[in-house]
Amino acid sequence: MKLNERSVAHYATCDSPPDKTGFLFKKGERNTAYHRRWFVLKGNMLFYFEERDSREPIGVIVLEGCTVELCESAEEFAFAIKFDCAKARVYKMAAENQAAMESWVKALSRASFDYMRLVVKELERQLEEIQEAAGVGCVGAGGLQCKPKASRRNQVARSRSGASSSSSSSSSSLSSASSAPPMSGSGQKSLLDEGHHTSKENGVAWSKAPGTLANGFVEGASSCVAWESSTDSGISTGCGADGVRAPPVPPRRRGASLESPVSPGTGCFSKLHDWYGREVEELRAQWLQSQ
Amino acid sequence: MRFNEKELVSLSRQPSEMAAELGMRGPKKGDVLKKRLVKLVVNFLFYFRTDEEEPIGALLLEQCRVEKEDSQTFSIVFLDEAERKYLFECDSEEQCGEWIDSIIKASYEFMRKNLIFYRTEIHRLTGKDPLEQYGISDETRFQVSNGLQLMPRDTSSL
Repeated sequence: MKLNERSVAHYATCDSPPDKTGFLFKKGERNTAYHRRWFVLKGNMLFYFEERDSREPIGVIVLEGCTVELCESAEEFAFAIKFDCAKARVYKMAAENQAAMESWVKALSRASFDYMRLVVKELERQLEEIQEAAGVGCVGAGGLQCKPKASRRNQVARSRSGASSSSSSSSSSLSSASSAPPMSGSGQKSLLDEGHHTSKENGVAWSKAPGTLANGFVEGASSCVAWESSTDSGISTGCGADGVRAPPVPPRRRGASLESPVSPGTGCFSKLHDWYGREVEELRAQWLQSQ
Repeated sequence: MRFNEKELVSLSRQPSEMAAELGMRGPKKGDVLKKRLVKLVVNFLFYFRTDEEEPIGALLLEQCRVEKEDSQTFSIVFLDEAERKYLFECDSEEQCGEWIDSIIKASYEFMRKNLIFYRTEIHRLTGKDPLEQYGISDETRFQVSNGLQLMPRDTSSL
């Protein structure tokens, strides 16, 4: 089966941040000795290089669908990456110490796309609950209540009825810290179903730290730094910093025509529409340029 | 570059909500449009000959750009080889739009950015870090940064 290998190798070495890097010993396939390799984990892809400064990876392990287990081995600090398909290979690995082993096992077992998607969905649901509790309206309580919106050209934030769709997305709730969430087939499907709905509303590829879009009406340092510096007060009002109030997000309705203004709170809909469209396009252009 | 092909083939068999017969043209000169079953699974786009079980190939959808070419056609271009375009012809403008949307959202990077956005917003509105209860607040991939690059940040204030 073909793979866009050159681009995959490029992904390994490009400046997108790796989730974890380090030396591990990997048991060879034919030569069953353990070889020390430099590993780079990005998303659900585990790349391995001959040396730390090698330009190209020797190989990659696609981690989707894998389980990670500690294993019995003559080798100390050993663990294995296993897959559930017929004649699947078992990747035997060993770390250099106990802490490294635990750290890698944790990182690898949560590296799947589905896990990430689950976490995102959960946070999205939480944010919706908070926003609904706070009330989406023209006069916000504490600043911008912006959410990521669809990014298609000339597309506007869609309208959605508040209660029904968000509450249904809690069907697959995030399990507790120590165990990876179970991924049953049906569970996945429901995520995808909702994903199809809500993900369209989250279409924007966030260029800078999302803080800049959320508080995009106020360009500047205060937006992103809200996360790190707001230690004293719980709710920061970064967006209101220089008196500019962000327009509220109109409630979204699944399947509604893009052009129909529905939020009771929105003032001038066409202004809102134009503004979002422009802002998203600008940010997107900037992001693409910087890649 | 080695990769675990068997596992990738197995992944291609997973259920997907985005699977359709599209016209596909490869990036090389001389590549012609062929009918392919195109299937999106996590951040991979698999393509099959119709009625074949094993995919001909897979495209990892990270570091790529998706664009509308005309009313029913979209392209995927990988940032390291921007001149090489994979073209996909759909049956309708609506279908084309749906594919573009789905592929844009199919990258790990895209999800990461959304996650950081939600985390930031929830913290801003409630003063609490929503990831703490899951014990994942320190993971590098969830950290916020000011710039385009995600860099490890001191989140001890959280």
